[in-house]
Amino acid sequence: MKFRQYLKDHWILFLCLFFAMLLISCLLLIMRLSGEGILFINLLVWMFLLIAILIDFIRKKKFYDTVMHNLETLDKKYLLHEMLDPPHFAEGDILCEVLYQCNKSMADEVSVYRNHSKEYREYIETWVHEIKTPIACASLIYENNKTPATQSMYEEILNIENFVEQSLYYARSNYVEKDYVIKSCNLKDIVGTALKQHSKQLIENKTAIEMKQLDVTVFTDSKWVQFILGQLILNAIKYQSPKRLLRLTFTAEKEAQHVSLLIQDNGSGIGEQDIPRVFEQGFTGENGRNFAKSTGMGLFICKKLCGKLGLSIALDSVLGQGTTVTITFPVGNMHVLED
Amino acid sequence: MFKIFIVEDELTIRTELKTLLEKYGYECITTDDFTSVLPAIEAASPHLILLDINLPHFDGYHICREIRSHSQIPIIIVTSRNSDVDELMSMNLGADDFITKPYHTQILLARIAALLKRSYQTDHEAQLEHNGVMLSLSDSTITANGQTAELTKNELKILHLLMQNKGTIQSRDELINALWQTDEFIDDNTLTVNINRLRKKLESIGVTNYLKTKRGMGYIV
Repeated sequence: MKFRQYLKDHWILFLCLFFAMLLISCLLLIMRLSGEGILFINLLVWMFLLIAILIDFIRKKKFYDTVMHNLETLDKKYLLHEMLDPPHFAEGDILCEVLYQCNKSMADEVSVYRNHSKEYREYIETWVHEIKTPIACASLIYENNKTPATQSMYEEILNIENFVEQSLYYARSNYVEKDYVIKSCNLKDIVGTALKQHSKQLIENKTAIEMKQLDVTVFTDSKWVQFILGQLILNAIKYQSPKRLLRLTFTAEKEAQHVSLLIQDNGSGIGEQDIPRVFEQGFTGENGRNFAKSTGMGLFICKKLCGKLGLSIALDSVLGQGTTVTITFPVGNMHVLED
Repeated sequence: MFKIFIVEDELTIRTELKTLLEKYGYECITTDDFTSVLPAIEAASPHLILLDINLPHFDGYHICREIRSHSQIPIIIVTSRNSDVDELMSMNLGADDFITKPYHTQILLARIAALLKRSYQTDHEAQLEHNGVMLSLSDSTITANGQTAELTKNELKILHLLMQNKGTIQSRDELINALWQTDEFIDDNTLTVNINRLRKKLESIGVTNYLKTKRGMGYIV
């Protein structure tokens, strides 16, 4: 707040006072008061006015400067109201009251949507858990009645299972902190479990598995990483090259600050123009047109989950040669849950 | 024969699971009265309990806690909830293992077998015999005609599986899958190599034409 602004705001006061003093001076002149006396009275009045103005200005400047400073430095600007001391003058009080009411009504509005999204998420989670029972039923029925017909039904069931799994992790991805547990895990175990989960499809496609230096400990939530690896494995199966048998190589590289897990396949690869966009939601690219089953969700969810888990994920590919996905785990055990 | 008690409220899963486990040589007991699961378990005195979490009347966690208060019988919790927090809770209540639905039957069977082995340390399966060939699991050897040959880890597992299912064809995929469940991620070619080596070893102790190939279907002993 600048002094000039303040003076400008109060021009009526000065104008009125100026005319009032002019009038008073004329009256005093008529009453035959000496020139010095009139000048003295005028000086006195203007001096007191100046003092009053200065006091008022300083008080307001202090308040509004704090407001502006807080506004600039605050990360969440809507918290401004909480940061203000009571101003003790009418305009400031009004401002505070307005801020308070606005905030309150906005908070109410936000909580309505928060509840909506919470209900929706809970519904999705329940639904996913419900649907798993019939899926488990169907798998068991297949296991007990193996015929070519049930065999192909079972393959479809595995597809359904994967889509259901995707939706569950997507619904959770906004609230990861609610159900993850960071523990020290061995990469070999995580990769092994992910492979076992998809063993049927992998073996049917005669996949060769190679594991290199996987005996490394990382600190993360194994469930989430298994899901991410599962998505990558399914992608490798989906986009395998028709010219050769699928080969999956898992390699761990240990460095001072991080551990990288490389997942390499020898599939059909991704065109250079598509690589920067593979992690976007719904992006399917050239492969999406060649392979009918693309949804553009798998890698998007992987990226999102990695972000929440504090991992980084990158993809590199040569068209016709294969794809390498690198997941990087930070090293450090500050956030480990003792078990 | 091991007795397994299945606590599961979904009828289809219960019956299919029973069929499956009986096919693999377990005796199964179930109940459909969920107000008195505990007495039913006590009456049956099984070797292992498969326990669902979402049950009517009392949930699985409660049952697990109750069982643990007086018995160390192995419990595998089977549930459709699959967060680490649920797993942690199950383990804290004293469950021995935790499997999420929809489980892959091979994984389920492997976990059951592993837990039974761990809990009862039986040696009743330490030796298998079929058509004059004796397979010893403890020292990984085969014996026939008074001669002995040593087997590698993979060969042992393959022959074990075939002998367990003697008289029925095991497909290549099933054999590979069984090896995968024990963290041996072999591929198709490796299986061929292993089978050939196994045949050579059988021949070296004077057993020929023991492990037969069923073209396009798999192997049988």
